[in-house]
Amino acid sequence: MAALSTLLILPLGVAAALALARYQGPGKGAVETVLSLPLVLPPTAVGLVLLELLSRRAPLGAWLAARGLEVVFTWKAVLLATAVMSFPLLVRSARTAFEEVDPRLLGIARTLGCGPVSAFFRVTLPLAWRGVLAGTVLAFSRALGEFGATVMVAGNIPGKTQTLALAIFHDNQIGRDDRALVLAGVTATLAFAALWLTEWITRRRARRAHA
Amino acid sequence: MIDVRVELPLPRFTLRVEVRLGAGVTAIMGPSGSGKTSFLEALAGLRRQARGLIALDGSTWLHSSKGIALPPEARRVGYVPQDAGLFPHLTALGNVGFGARGEVSAVETAIDTLEIRGLLHRYPTSLSGGEKQRVALARALATRPRLLLLDEPLASVDVALRERVLPYLVRIRDEWSVPCVYVTHNVGEALALAERLVLFRDGHVEAQGPPLELLGAPGVTRAAESGIENLLAGRVVAHDANGGVTRVQLDGGPSVSIPLVPERPTGARVTVAIRAEDLLVAVEPVRGLSARNVYPARVIAIERTGVDVTLRCALTDAGPDAAWLARVTPSAVEALGLTTGSTVWLAVKSHSVRLV
Repeated sequence: MAALSTLLILPLGVAAALALARYQGPGKGAVETVLSLPLVLPPTAVGLVLLELLSRRAPLGAWLAARGLEVVFTWKAVLLATAVMSFPLLVRSARTAFEEVDPRLLGIARTLGCGPVSAFFRVTLPLAWRGVLAGTVLAFSRALGEFGATVMVAGNIPGKTQTLALAIFHDNQIGRDDRALVLAGVTATLAFAALWLTEWITRRRARRAHA
Repeated sequence: MIDVRVELPLPRFTLRVEVRLGAGVTAIMGPSGSGKTSFLEALAGLRRQARGLIALDGSTWLHSSKGIALPPEARRVGYVPQDAGLFPHLTALGNVGFGARGEVSAVETAIDTLEIRGLLHRYPTSLSGGEKQRVALARALATRPRLLLLDEPLASVDVALRERVLPYLVRIRDEWSVPCVYVTHNVGEALALAERLVLFRDGHVEAQGPPLELLGAPGVTRAAESGIENLLAGRVVAHDANGGVTRVQLDGGPSVSIPLVPERPTGARVTVAIRAEDLLVAVEPVRGLSARNVYPARVIAIERTGVDVTLRCALTDAGPDAAWLARVTPSAVEALGLTTGSTVWLAVKSHSVRLV
């Protein structure tokens, strides 16, 4: 679920990061603040907002329900909650990386026959991918550990909306600390593997570039 | 032939430039912040606010009143910024081939012209300043550009390296028939490369014409700003390998000895530069001096320039317009009793006469 939510926010997050890195006009600060809100608000508050928005009483929720799309207390809610919570981490990290790419290099790429899209894939992304990757891993870790927003909007339904983080809490509450510990171990392994892989790829590439 | 008429609003002023770029190199000089780089970017299509007209044989890059403004990727310019602007994530080969759209022959020719075959597998971080510039030049050429835009390509390179990169620029000019706009602060580079010189000031063209005319003209202060007061055109007449000198016959004037330059064939047009402070002034015929170049002259004006004095001297062996400038101290003027009309001998050692 964490991986899926990360995949979901990757293109969106990269686009938002790019827009924020390049756009300098009015309203930039406001957009940045709104995007970063999930970082500072209690996750349960974010979950509550999502719940209110998506419940059948709210216009958005009613509209979705009319089209047969039930979100609240389903796996889709888990996806949405983790995505919303981890989105700012990806955007912040990727934005910094994009801002560090010298815009003049893009100009040169353009004179060398690249359209804007091609220049992004051939210059911006190869130069900023480390930041994007770091952001992705951060977002993934956040999604993995997300608790508050998920429990609010998706509930804690074993086999349906129960994530690893929720299951650890649940097992501990019902006195099955042994199972909780195993699950904690699983999350630790996943997180460790992701971080280590990032580190490894980054270093390997760095060495090659300075060879 | 490229007709250019552009207007571009900049923070301090509006850039308004009207020039005609022919074959060969057009040098642009001017104080920092006079709009030189912005002009290049407007030509490249990197300044979307630029208005006006840029028309080449057979294509129009910019025609504001008709709503035509080609994006940079459709213009085919070769742009080399001051710091080379290589892509750090690609090898030299990756850089050179970046814009070549599968045109192998152009890439190969560019690599040979700039002699960078040995550097191709290296990343920009491991290249020296001069090597970076050569890779950037090859990258620009490999696209077979219709216009080459060079923004002070030698500015970030030290003097010794400059001497080594300059021949490559001469080579590009002579072997690739591509019009080139060359921004520089260096008089020597402008004289060595350019057929035409355009002087910028505060976003407009202050003067344009043949470089030597513009820079060597009396009253043009820019030559003095560059530190070279005497710029003299001439022709190589002989090489003396044993003596270690090359003789240059100056147009309408005497000949001078310069350190041997065998790579300039006899008959080649050259420009030599002599700094005003390198000219020794004597009031009697000079004998037994190591300086190879001694010329009788007459002082036609004495000008106080700051703490020094500049003597304007008409050479006896040259036409009346050929005035050389010599810089001396006020005490020397007094000791030698120099006045307007004094007969003097100007001496300069071969090594103080530089080829530009």
